[in-house]
Amino acid sequence: MDSLKEDLKKHIIEQLNLEDLTVSDIDDDALLFSADGIGLDSIDALELIVLMEKYYGIQVTNPDEGKVAFLSINTMADYIEKKRA
Amino acid sequence: MYITAASTISHQPTFKNAGFSKLIEPLKTDSELISPNFKDYIDAGLLRRMSKILRMSVTAAKDCLQQAGVDQPGAIIVGTGLGCLQDTEKFLNNFLTIEGLLPPTSFIQSTHNTIAGQISLSIGNHGYNMTHTQNTLSFEHALIDAGLLLVEGNDNIIVGAADEYIEILGEIGEKLSANPAINLTSGASFFVVSKDQSGNSIAKIKDVVTVGLVQDINVSIENFLTNNTLEESEIDLVLYSDFVDSGLVSDVVKRFENSSEAINYTNLVGIYPSNSSFALHYAADRIQNNNKIKTVLIINGLNRINLGLTLIQSIEA
Repeated sequence: MDSLKEDLKKHIIEQLNLEDLTVSDIDDDALLFSADGIGLDSIDALELIVLMEKYYGIQVTNPDEGKVAFLSINTMADYIEKKRA
Repeated sequence: MYITAASTISHQPTFKNAGFSKLIEPLKTDSELISPNFKDYIDAGLLRRMSKILRMSVTAAKDCLQQAGVDQPGAIIVGTGLGCLQDTEKFLNNFLTIEGLLPPTSFIQSTHNTIAGQISLSIGNHGYNMTHTQNTLSFEHALIDAGLLLVEGNDNIIVGAADEYIEILGEIGEKLSANPAINLTSGASFFVVSKDQSGNSIAKIKDVVTVGLVQDINVSIENFLTNNTLEESEIDLVLYSDFVDSGLVSDVVKRFENSSEAINYTNLVGIYPSNSSFALHYAADRIQNNNKIKTVLIINGLNRINLGLTLIQSIEA
């Protein structure tokens, strides 16, 4: 699970061009779409949907599911694990 | 229309460098874009997605607003010949190589009007927002639009132009057997223009004309001067660009050689479709730093079939 979270952070940094961040800067429970957290926006949400399909083969088609899944690295990792199970 | 602020990012030391026109030498073929610290002007959240043309344009536009002491411009008008090439290339590569969902950012930012859009987003402007893409006359069309809007009552308008070089342009040039000496570059020049003269006024744009499918450059220039009640001898500086090495415009410029200084500005800034915007900044800078230069004529002949003529005068003229 820890390697999945690390892997996710690497992909997010690369895909979203988060040039100023490293893997260690992103807390597992930091809110991805909050200004107090990572500060992502709606375009980033679309990029995350693409990222989920590209790297994990998961299609996020239900917006309500996506809202919960994309809260933090922890929730994203849980979502991936659940879909893989 | 009066220029109250000007800012250029190019392959020359033009940014925040008043008096640059006295210092710069013809550009060498291996030159690179001289980038300022974009983080000083653009929020990190926006900057991370921006391509070169967007970074240059937003920074130059914001620098202009700072110089003019204007928070919100009355309009944002941008000219670009080729638009956001870097994002277009990225999107097309994604399109060809990725199966399934495509990343949206490069697609969203591949359109020409992203430049004006990003300027407005970065300052929270909800006014008139327009992009002109007319090949090598894109900047002149943006200027004409700005002049018309000033007459309608908008003021402190941001008007500018930008184009970016990406490697594939050089490859395409080679395949088209274009002259290898062509120095393709990137550049962005932005201005704040206002209807009335003020303490901030740098120079005055007296007239802008575009001629599509130009038949006779000499006749077009004669008509332009006549319409502005000017004699050739009253032009102090001619800034021109020529279609590759055709000599079409440089031959015409010889008519001014007894009374005017003539400079091919593509030798200074390189070739990109909207490089006449650099010429406008260069003209304003020369006027500011040499009180003998009162009247400048820009002859944009970068494309064989297009002609752009812009007349700039000092405030005192």
